[in-house]
Amino acid sequence: MMDNNKKIKNIIQALGEHKDSEAAIELLTELGTNSPDDEIRELTAQTLIRKNTHESLRVVLISKGKGINDLSARVAMASINELLALKDKTEAIKILDDTIKMHSEEDVRNTARSVRALMTFSS
Amino acid sequence: MQIGKISLHTTKAVQQNAEKNTTASNKLSTNPFGVSFKGNVIQADVFESARKNLNGKNLAERGKLFASAVVSGINSFNEAFKSRMNSVVSFGKKITTNVFDTIERIGNTEISFDMTGLKNKLFPDRQYSIKNLTTKSVDELKTLWSGLAATGAV
Repeated sequence: MMDNNKKIKNIIQALGEHKDSEAAIELLTELGTNSPDDEIRELTAQTLIRKNTHESLRVVLISKGKGINDLSARVAMASINELLALKDKTEAIKILDDTIKMHSEEDVRNTARSVRALMTFSS
Repeated sequence: MQIGKISLHTTKAVQQNAEKNTTASNKLSTNPFGVSFKGNVIQADVFESARKNLNGKNLAERGKLFASAVVSGINSFNEAFKSRMNSVVSFGKKITTNVFDTIERIGNTEISFDMTGLKNKLFPDRQYSIKNLTTKSVDELKTLWSGLAATGAV
């Protein structure tokens, strides 16, 4: 018998492959990134990064408490690993550069700077 | 001599009486009870039974009677057979009509199975398979996710 967590993970994966990408990103942002469960947040962040669109990357790179800025180290590290695994990092680097320059939160800017450095070394 | 005459007369009278008795007994031979009707002794033929009369008729007459009885019997049998056959035929027609009606009804009936609903009931986890979930709209997925989150697990 499949437990609820597994079912939600499957829904997240289905949203990652969904044709209606915009609506899927909205749902992942609304329900996934705000989930109290670390596993759900981790999988949501990974899914959003794999989508590799401006909207999906913005959520995990510049939002406080989400993606690379998540309070859970597990979620943050999983997000960074996923970013480093991207074949096309152009959009992610662009957003990180803008964040380093313009974001109001210092913590967010510092995190963005660290991730940007990792991406530079890994590419 | 007179005695002789008397005796002769007597003898004749006795003889005549004897003859009378003989004919009467002959006449009454088939009428042993001597039943008379209006002073005449009823002859034996009167007492012939109907069966004897019937037996006395020739074969042709008997054949006619027998044939008429047979014909009437055949007629009544035919009527009974016809009435039964009619009921059988009407029953057959009714059955045929019912069968055709049923076939027509079946032809006009749409049978549909909600296979998705059936599969979901038989295999509840299949509803949440990634393959099945990708076919659903985002709104449906949101409903499913919200439902699961509302149960308290996540």
